[in-house]
Amino acid sequence: MSLRQLKEFCIPGDWAEVDAQLGRYGARAFVLAGGSFVHGLDARGLLHEVEALIDIRNLGLDYIRAESGGLRIGATTTFAHLQAAPTLGESPWLGALADALACPPRQIRNVATVGGSVAASCPYFDPPTALMALDARVAVVAGGARREFPLGELFAGTFENSLRRGEIIVELFLPRPTGRSASAFLKLEGNANDLAIVNCAASLEIDAQGRCSEARIALGGGVGDAIARATSAERLLQGRVADDEVLWSAAEAVGEDIDPHTDHRASAAYRLAVAKVLTRRALTCALARSARTPT
Amino acid sequence: MMQLVTLEVNGEQHEIAVEADGALLAVLRDGLGLIGTKRGCDTGGCGCCTVLVDGRAVYSCMMYTLSAQGRKITTIEGLAADGKLDPLQEAFVNTGAVQCGYCTCGFIMVAKQLLSETNNPDEDAIRHAIAGNLCRCTGYHKIVEAIRLAAKGG
Ligand SMILES: Cc1cc2nc3c(=O)[nH]c(=O)nc-3n(C[C@H](O)[C@H](O)[C@H](O)COP(=O)(O)OP(=O)(O)OC[C@H]3O[C@@H](n4cnc5c(N)ncnc54)[C@H](O)[C@@H]3O)c2cc1C
Ligand code: FES
Ligand code: FES
Repeated sequence: MSLRQLKEFCIPGDWAEVDAQLGRYGARAFVLAGGSFVHGLDARGLLHEVEALIDIRNLGLDYIRAESGGLRIGATTTFAHLQAAPTLGESPWLGALADALACPPRQIRNVATVGGSVAASCPYFDPPTALMALDARVAVVAGGARREFPLGELFAGTFENSLRRGEIIVELFLPRPTGRSASAFLKLEGNANDLAIVNCAASLEIDAQGRCSEARIALGGGVGDAIARATSAERLLQGRVADDEVLWSAAEAVGEDIDPHTDHRASAAYRLAVAKVLTRRALTCALARSARTPT
Repeated sequence: MMQLVTLEVNGEQHEIAVEADGALLAVLRDGLGLIGTKRGCDTGGCGCCTVLVDGRAVYSCMMYTLSAQGRKITTIEGLAADGKLDPLQEAFVNTGAVQCGYCTCGFIMVAKQLLSETNNPDEDAIRHAIAGNLCRCTGYHKIVEAIRLAAKGG
């Protein structure tokens, strides 16, 4: 373990305490939620400078609120808690999130938080890809001031987020699409306990004529420095009936939107081929789910 | 940096000095002598350190001890506290789901959470539940069988 400079492990119960700790330790304070990623950093010797760990799980950020405008998820809500929310099972538009949350092993789902999963800015994680396709917005707080922005702006690079010093993610908001909509997520991994070679989430809104009025596709897992939105593929779907031909051409277009690389998990060429297949299958699954959705 | 904490393990309160950056696994094994919980990879990759915290399976090698304060920790030793084996333990014995045994406690603890949520899991649900646990000996088949047997009441 590399926390040799650690002076304090605090579990603040209110924001005044958080601000006091952040004020005292500044850049040497480190936020801890489920700890499943922090432990990895610690074990790799990356936390030498940290003097205070701030466990944020007693700040009342563990909540799920289904509202008419969408879904609000508190940052310290665990994957397991979110999976158990009735709204997740009942809402085809949230299908991608339900699919992605089921990926990590149970021992991780019981501790990993939604906020930690996006703050880590790891393009190989699964829920962030689903959240990108669901057009998530992030709310952050620092010193009592709150700001909100699209999730994509959080990802500054691999393992790098755009949070300013002292900012803590408090909530994710998923706007509820209008009309008939559904989403789906798929992952290809080497084994049941591994991160994605490629993952893909697709979210569709279908109008009364059966055309895609909105399409969002996101890909992760070694296809770029951050999770990528497949905008070329999305454009091909916009305003069209997603028949076989359209689906194949949208999947093919994904090649223009991603920049796969080679690593110990897979080659770039393999990732490209898989990204196309997963895109087509995720779209097909979202489409099938939308067909079962009441308008 | 050492810090004094009170931990509730298997229904007993323990006041113990722990490293502030130490993992729960180290305290359980090295501090409290509860060596049924095993140390394998120490990085969340094998599952043999699984314990229950407030009834939920976690990797004890990845949880800071201080994050476990005020929560109910259950280790394998807590399952047979009154001297009688838990139905899951009985089923593992009766099915022959144990070879070297190093992984066994982790499987039993994760299955304990599963069976607290459902008493009739199908094979898919069982396999999904144990996906975060590795066994290098048995080939999993008998482990799945043992969990199904325990679900049926042994
Ligand atoms: C064995 C194993 C298997 C895994 N398998 C998968 C998998 O299949 N799919 C998958 O998607 N993921 C997987 N993961 C990764 C897991 O999902 C992440 O580790 C987890 O989402 C991180 O969340 P956490 O709450 O544990 O964050 P922590 O580890 O507590 O924190 C993560 C990072 O975010 C920061 N942070 C946390 N919360 C906030 C906040 N509210 N505001 C600002 N900063 C914050 C922390 O400072 C830290 O840098 C796996 C991990 C392990 C160890
Ligand atoms: S020792 Fe904890 S998961 Fe391997
Ligand atoms: S019985 Fe030997 S590792 Fe499972």
